[in-house]
Amino acid sequence: MKRGLIIIINLLIMGSILFFIIRYANIKAEESNKNAIIAFEKMTVTTNQIIANYLEDEQHLCDIWANYINRSAEGGTPMTAEDAVSFIRKAKVSSEIEGHLIFLDTSGREGISTAAKVSDPNVYTVSYKNINIFDNIEDESDTDEVVSLTRAYTNPMNGVQSIAFLNKVTVFDEERGETREGLLLRVVPLSRLEQKLVFLKGEYENVEISIVDKEGNYVVHGKSFKNSNFFEYYKSYNTSTSEEYEHVIKEIAGGTGTMPIKNFKKEDCILSYTPLETMTTWFLLAYIPAKDLVVSRSIDWQLLGIASIGFLLLLIFNSIVMMIYNRELSEAAKQANQANEAKSNFLSTMSHDIRTPMNAILGLNEMVLRDSRDDNIRMYAESIKTAGSTLLSIINDILDFSKIEAGKMEIINVEYSFASLLNDLVNMVQKKAEDKDLSFNLDIDRSIPSVLYGDEIRIKQVIINILSNAVKYTKQGAVTFSVHANKLQDKPDIVMLKVSVADTGIGIKPEDLDKLFVAFERIEEKRNRNVEGTGLGMTIVQRFLDMMGSHLEVESEYGKGSVFSFELEQKVVKWDPIGDFEEAFKRSIIERKNYHEKFTAPDARVLVVDDTPVNLTVFVNLLKKTGLKIDTAESGDECISLFTKNKYDAIFLDHMMPDKDGIETLMEIKAITDTPNIGTPVICLTANAISGMREMYTNAGFDDYLTKPIDAERLEMMLLQYLPKDKVIIASDDDDTEEYALPKFLYDIKELDLDSGISYCGDEEDYLETLETFLGSAKKKADEIEKYWSERDLKNVTIKVHGLKSSSRAIGALELGTLAERLEKAGNSSDEEVLDKELGELLSRYRQLAKDLEPLNDLDDI
Amino acid sequence: MTKTAKTLFSLSMVAMLLLEGCGSGKKAEVPFEPKYDKDTEFSLTVAGSYGNFESLEAEFERFYEYYPNANLQYVTMDDYNNVISSAIVNSEPPDIFTTNSYMIGNEMYDDMFEACEVLSDSSVGIDYSCIRESLIRTTDSGDVVMLPIFTTSYGMLVNMDIFEKEGLKVPTNFKELMDVCTKLKNAGYESPVMGTDRFSGSGLFNCFVYPMYAYNVIKNSDKIDDLNNLEPSAGELMRPSLERLYEFVNSDCIDVAKCEEEIVDEYDSVIMRFFEGDVPMMLATGDVVSGTAKRESKSDAFSANPFKYRFFTAPAGDDGGYFINSISICFSVNKNSRNIDMANEFMRFLISKKELDNMAGLKRLITPVDDFSADELYSALADVPDDRSFSDKETGLLDQAVRQFRAAIYAVGNGTMTVDEAVAAYGSIPEE
Repeated sequence: MKRGLIIIINLLIMGSILFFIIRYANIKAEESNKNAIIAFEKMTVTTNQIIANYLEDEQHLCDIWANYINRSAEGGTPMTAEDAVSFIRKAKVSSEIEGHLIFLDTSGREGISTAAKVSDPNVYTVSYKNINIFDNIEDESDTDEVVSLTRAYTNPMNGVQSIAFLNKVTVFDEERGETREGLLLRVVPLSRLEQKLVFLKGEYENVEISIVDKEGNYVVHGKSFKNSNFFEYYKSYNTSTSEEYEHVIKEIAGGTGTMPIKNFKKEDCILSYTPLETMTTWFLLAYIPAKDLVVSRSIDWQLLGIASIGFLLLLIFNSIVMMIYNRELSEAAKQANQANEAKSNFLSTMSHDIRTPMNAILGLNEMVLRDSRDDNIRMYAESIKTAGSTLLSIINDILDFSKIEAGKMEIINVEYSFASLLNDLVNMVQKKAEDKDLSFNLDIDRSIPSVLYGDEIRIKQVIINILSNAVKYTKQGAVTFSVHANKLQDKPDIVMLKVSVADTGIGIKPEDLDKLFVAFERIEEKRNRNVEGTGLGMTIVQRFLDMMGSHLEVESEYGKGSVFSFELEQKVVKWDPIGDFEEAFKRSIIERKNYHEKFTAPDARVLVVDDTPVNLTVFVNLLKKTGLKIDTAESGDECISLFTKNKYDAIFLDHMMPDKDGIETLMEIKAITDTPNIGTPVICLTANAISGMREMYTNAGFDDYLTKPIDAERLEMMLLQYLPKDKVIIASDDDDTEEYALPKFLYDIKELDLDSGISYCGDEEDYLETLETFLGSAKKKADEIEKYWSERDLKNVTIKVHGLKSSSRAIGALELGTLAERLEKAGNSSDEEVLDKELGELLSRYRQLAKDLEPLNDLDDI
Repeated sequence: MTKTAKTLFSLSMVAMLLLEGCGSGKKAEVPFEPKYDKDTEFSLTVAGSYGNFESLEAEFERFYEYYPNANLQYVTMDDYNNVISSAIVNSEPPDIFTTNSYMIGNEMYDDMFEACEVLSDSSVGIDYSCIRESLIRTTDSGDVVMLPIFTTSYGMLVNMDIFEKEGLKVPTNFKELMDVCTKLKNAGYESPVMGTDRFSGSGLFNCFVYPMYAYNVIKNSDKIDDLNNLEPSAGELMRPSLERLYEFVNSDCIDVAKCEEEIVDEYDSVIMRFFEGDVPMMLATGDVVSGTAKRESKSDAFSANPFKYRFFTAPAGDDGGYFINSISICFSVNKNSRNIDMANEFMRFLISKKELDNMAGLKRLITPVDDFSADELYSALADVPDDRSFSDKETGLLDQAVRQFRAAIYAVGNGTMTVDEAVAAYGSIPEE
């Protein structure tokens, strides 16, 4: 994942968390605000209660005054106004509080005050003429209000803003000689009421309490409220329609509640309102700037800010740590890649280095097998071939595993003959089984379709691995190879092959079954240490089967044997049954012929380039019978030189060469335009057989590649593919009948073992040539031996006898060879007695053989 | 220009102060520099009779910029004129309070002024040189204890759109007034001039001829004492004004009955009727004009068809109108203030061209500052020649003399007395 993407994801996560925090903070802030507003509203109600209590108390005191005065009147001894005021003057405790007794029926709403006018201490007369606070007094007296109170007004006696509690009293008017009704006012400075609200300052510093009447006129005027009327104030500073304005008036008159308003600075404020409990026509308004109630919100933002910074720091820290780790991981990955490259290089080198000599070994061995007529030698060569194949198999296992691990192993489906596949399998395994005196049983379903579609190579590899294992781990008894086919009802083009290999081998303990498919793990390593293998076989089998949609099943009984089986779906190309494979195979064994070239192409010319001469020899000999003209070159430069001179039908170019390797050489020859070889296919010879080689060589410009050790059959198949068709003559089976015929007199020479000679020389023709050579030098060599013996030149006699030994064996004169060997030994040991006794016989038989062979000279003359 | 000895003395003192405080001529106003620590916490109460004093409250806010911990409050006092004397010596006295020009010299307020800070005292540091000289009032001892905040005048509100629509110029003298009114009458305006038919200073008759009468009094200063003493013979000085009033009310200019019927008070109704948009000229005082801004939105007619209006002197004279500049309200500082220093500091802040213009602009009253350009509404007053521009204190008329004149014009204007009868009855003309 790219760093930018990681950062973006981190930022998105951060953003999401912050969004959540913001949302959470907002919700909490809103809750907090709601709670704060509810608390504020409760405070308003509490304040209302306090004010109500205070007003009730004050009213009660006023009522006490009034009751006292009125009781006098009711008792028939009404007080005069002066007496009443005098009483009040005595009754009141606080000097701040005044009592005014006024008569509303006078023009100046005049009366008497308990306190003198501040501006004139001699004046106790009080006038409310210009103070408009009694307009609704009659209306209010009709209500059941507990408190009868004026709005805040200016006390005319002292100019102090005050409120007055009212009650009616009856006093005696001396002038009129009758009682009259007066209005008693308990005048309390407004500041006394305001002092009751001081407690609010602790909790709500900027709260302002106002009391308004039902028209909105202030009784108590908070300083932030402009205008003389609250509703006018609201209208002045809050944008509202007339409906909204009416709604606000109704809301405030309607009961307790809270509403947002703007103050004169257009700031958001909260107004809580509640009707005074004691006076329903008055309303308490508690005003506070909204920011004072939502202060907790700013704390949330601080937290948010800290969280954001924290996240950023965390992101930066993590990014740095991640960067450091990434660098370390990158370094480790680099090292791992280097190690992997080293492994690949090692595999490549190992592959190359082992396969290169193996090419020589197996190639030359193939020559031996082809040319030798000596059964013993052929037997030895067969052993070499088997061991070589085993070694190659081990290398191939390792390379296959390497390919699987690298994810470069692919299943390549092709059409294939199932009988041919079986043939190869049985060929490969039967010999091994026979070598171990194991019985190799076949149980092949006759109905298996003859041509299938699948990865023949991998299927063969899977089965051969299982069969090889069975043979390897079975000391006695039998290995039974079974293949059965079932048609699938739902898949008409598919056949289900059931392949199983049963052995009577050592078996597998149940606890070891799991180890079976673990790479490089070998079961009972100690016990099986003499058994060849890498421990990769079953792992590869399992992987290949996985890739082909199957799996291996194992049933085993420790000490008694195992059954390995798998089922594999294969697409059917031809439904013709293969018939009795076992019978056909036996017949083919009987009819097995020696090597025979697949074609001849005497007009075709190929160039083979390899820095190892023996490889060139192998290559040339493997194709000897095809009649191909083969030019060899031991370096890239030599190749280029020949490339420009001669026309070739195919070029085989070794990859790993000193100075100029195959790829460099290819690039150069591809760049040459002045050449008859434009379009000539170039096939890479390589001992590298690890995964990815095909891509590498085709990308480099090669038309194909052939791995070493060179498989003769593959080589011929490849040539058939690339050589011009008109230059190729496909060999027919009838050719075998046209064997080279030896002269009949040879069969009569007792000294000669013709088979041995032919075998030794490779074929009849070579044998005949060898005989002719023998004949040509026989007289001279016999005379030389005789001459050296006469001169008692023991050394030269021994050398010559040694030469006679070799040449005698080469022509199949085995006894003569044996005699020569004995005399050679005698010569070497200076045993003149033996020489003296037997040399004559040797020379005699030698000359007789030459004489017997003389008709060969006549043949040449013909 | 004649003055009483008292006034002369006062003016000489003012002149001395101005020379001290402002230097000669006009000078660029120095921005207010707080004298005290800006963190000083204090509270001030300003008492007055206005039910609302939003322009002052706006100044509180501006003052808070210098003293953020200050807490200023305006308190409306009931029965202000009777109570203020007591209020300033009570246990909770206001620190600053409003006063009026008629209070000075009235013995009822002697004690009150005794309790006032002397604002002309150099230690107080108030530079009031920006205020028009004629508006400065002093005590007998020459102390300045009150400084004008708003001034007012008598004149008329003119609907400029009507004049523009009719292609007329605002009349500047009585003859032009007659011509214009005739044309307006012909154009369908039943009463080209209207006003409130009230006895008070806001009454239409007073607004029309009182400036002319005051001018005549100033020109005949030898008669002032007789007028103040209500000597019947002094009534003759009213004749030119009464005859001009008689001529006016009996012309096409005004339908007094219509005015009486349609304009039911001397404030709200005057404004709302003017905002109906069909009155070319509405006689009014500056105090009435101050209420126009707030009522524009309250008038459906004006909201629907707003028009441009301005204040002019009433063109009662043959040569033109007279601009009599009266103090509307003054501020005094209570010497007994618990925060006397900060009260003086607020006054020092407030008494500047900038702040006084601000207040006047918000209140829509005439600024006491010697420059009318700040408010377009009153800008026409600057065109009145100095000869016909004066302050009410220059008349030397006492309250009783003024009231007799009002009684005379109320009677003549309403046709209850002839000019001769009113002149003859000076000193005993029935008042409201």
